[in-house]
Amino acid sequence: MSRDEIGELAAAYALGGLEGADRARFEALLRAADPEAVTALREFEDTLVELAAAAPETPPPAVKARLMERIAAATLADRVEPAGAGRGRRSAVWPAVLSAAMAAGLAAIVVAWTVSARYEKRLDALGRDADRLRADLQSQQEIVTILRDPATQMLALAGLAPAPLARARVLWHAKSGGLLVAAGLPPAPEGKTYQLWAIAGGNAPVSAGVFSVDASGTGSLAVHPLPGVAKVDAFAVTLEPAGGLPAPSGTMYLLGKS
Amino acid sequence: MPSAVPENSSALIARIAAGDRDAFSRFYDLLAPIAFGVIRRVLRDQEAAADVLQEVFWQVWREASRYDPTRGSPEAWVVMRAKTRAIDRLRSIRRVDRTFVAPVDESVARPDAEPAENPAVRAEERGLVQGALAQLPEPQRRVIELAFFDGLSHSEIAARLGEPLGTVKTRARLGLERLRGVMRRGLPAT
Repeated sequence: MSRDEIGELAAAYALGGLEGADRARFEALLRAADPEAVTALREFEDTLVELAAAAPETPPPAVKARLMERIAAATLADRVEPAGAGRGRRSAVWPAVLSAAMAAGLAAIVVAWTVSARYEKRLDALGRDADRLRADLQSQQEIVTILRDPATQMLALAGLAPAPLARARVLWHAKSGGLLVAAGLPPAPEGKTYQLWAIAGGNAPVSAGVFSVDASGTGSLAVHPLPGVAKVDAFAVTLEPAGGLPAPSGTMYLLGKS
Repeated sequence: MPSAVPENSSALIARIAAGDRDAFSRFYDLLAPIAFGVIRRVLRDQEAAADVLQEVFWQVWREASRYDPTRGSPEAWVVMRAKTRAIDRLRSIRRVDRTFVAPVDESVARPDAEPAENPAVRAEERGLVQGALAQLPEPQRRVIELAFFDGLSHSEIAARLGEPLGTVKTRARLGLERLRGVMRRGLPAT
């Protein structure tokens, strides 16, 4: 590659206008620490920084205040989260999910703690708010973690002969578990329950838990990670004796393949 | 109170990586105005710009430990992020505008047509015409502005200006090289 060509790639990259194959080519050079590419990019970036530095603008003071609050809240949240409960605490999802509302709530608590006892009542209320928010956050965080991961599978299950109009969806992530939502199933007869099965490869179906449906035929099930099951080829729902069985024995109501 | 020795941004980043809030506060004071200047040149809306600034510095706090000094200065790290984030926001605003065919809110997103119409006026309004950019030949300045401040890719610029892609690439490089020369010589007194 000629010097001019590297210069052109570096200029376009610094300006943010490099796309497609050219971008991949240049990023490969950077990864390989190609001295010409690295130097050219640094020089162009420094030039643009100088250009920017020549025209600064005072940001609104609220931005810094919000940031410092958010940082205080995040630091606190890292500290107060009970050990063991913080499954995703260190994951990259945490900062994204830590909403402004949560940050503000926690920051308020930090302040309240350091102030005198006459804030105790308020502190109680805030504490309850924070507990509620934290619980909400935890469940949302789990969902977001699952949704964000490219390894997540989403399967649609269709109703079979006993309930042709039944439908279900399963969101499945090997490490986090999954979620089943079913609709249109008849209520299970006395002493019976619906059971979800995960089928992977040529292995025997693995129980993913039992669930019931309400009067409208809707039910849901949070599935824990299944030992030994990674990518699932199919999910099925059968009707089984209450409590479920280790292997399917009853009529199949729903089936969905990936 | 302003000291003769400028505060070392690399040292501050190392302390931020260790969770030093005071270092973060100083780093912010040092670089936020520059970052905000860049963001405001991309996004006219003050609130959207403030939002992007907050995201950029939140990222600084979370990712300071990943800063690699061999890849560039902390200033470049922050300014490039500010620019990228601002352009992402501008693009998403444009996408929303296109999706909903809503009247373009000129206070938020610059209408697409405007930059090409009268770059000189726009450059002036950005307060840069007196600066280093003004030292560039018009075609080079236009390419740099469309890329850096409007977030257009080189092929988009080529399409808009009706020029071959190769010409746009060359102009971007020549423009930046010339700009570097201008910066090194220092700006002429006006």
